[in-house]
Amino acid sequence: MSMSMRYDEPQLADVLALIEEVWRSFVGVDEPLLPAEPDTGSVAYAATVTITGGWDGAVTLEFGVGTAEAVSARMLGLDEITEADVADAIGELVNMVGGNVKSLMPGPSALSLPVVSTGRIAHSNDTVEVCRCELSWAGLPMAASVHAHRD
Amino acid sequence: MHALIIDDSRAMRMILRRIVTDLGFTCAEAGDGEQALQQIADGPRPDICMIDWNMPVMDGYTFVTRVRSQPELRDITLMMVTTESEHGQIVRALAAGAHEYVIKPFTPDAIVEKLTLLGLVRDGVPA
Repeated sequence: MSMSMRYDEPQLADVLALIEEVWRSFVGVDEPLLPAEPDTGSVAYAATVTITGGWDGAVTLEFGVGTAEAVSARMLGLDEITEADVADAIGELVNMVGGNVKSLMPGPSALSLPVVSTGRIAHSNDTVEVCRCELSWAGLPMAASVHAHRD
Repeated sequence: MHALIIDDSRAMRMILRRIVTDLGFTCAEAGDGEQALQQIADGPRPDICMIDWNMPVMDGYTFVTRVRSQPELRDITLMMVTTESEHGQIVRALAAGAHEYVIKPFTPDAIVEKLTLLGLVRDGVPA
């Protein structure tokens, strides 16, 4: 895991706690989220929300091959999952994580609607990654990151 | 008892639907506040609306104000279910007429507890 500590940036421990709470509530407790080594495979899906106002930044969840489908199936209680189901599910997961990150930062701020992509989401040059954690769920790779806007 | 779930996230609507139908509620869904107002006008009248805040077209706060501006809809219970956790937003929603406020993420038990506090559920079944 890597992090850049600043007084006015989300702290890794807090972000991890938020993700774990979301996971417990909506994905279940049977399979815990575990720290992992960076995954060298491709990002199959990514979901992001932006926060604007008292603090400007973005919260992103990245999912390796198979991870998003498995997480979505568990979250929605479905045996068969479509791409639309995946987009809905991981969009809502990042919405909840991002909404709670927003509450940690100076306000007032607004949360965007989630954006979901196949593949990695590119962040603009005026942002910097301030927090990142590599995770594993049921042996499947995923990661969470927070980017902060820099003038 | 009939619930109307208002959230632009289909995933969240599915999750909330499962919780309330397991309790014995009938359930309808809307993807934004405007759709929800139309559904209320078309019927059946919900006993409770479970409302996300951040939605396209019409957000949850605006929906609450619109419902509260119509005296004939005063019996509908309004419960926010949202990631908005800032104290000012909570106060704003309650002042606008929301009866209860649930912050995401939540557990099914938390929803049941709120429905019980609202008098809509008693001993685990619709009142």
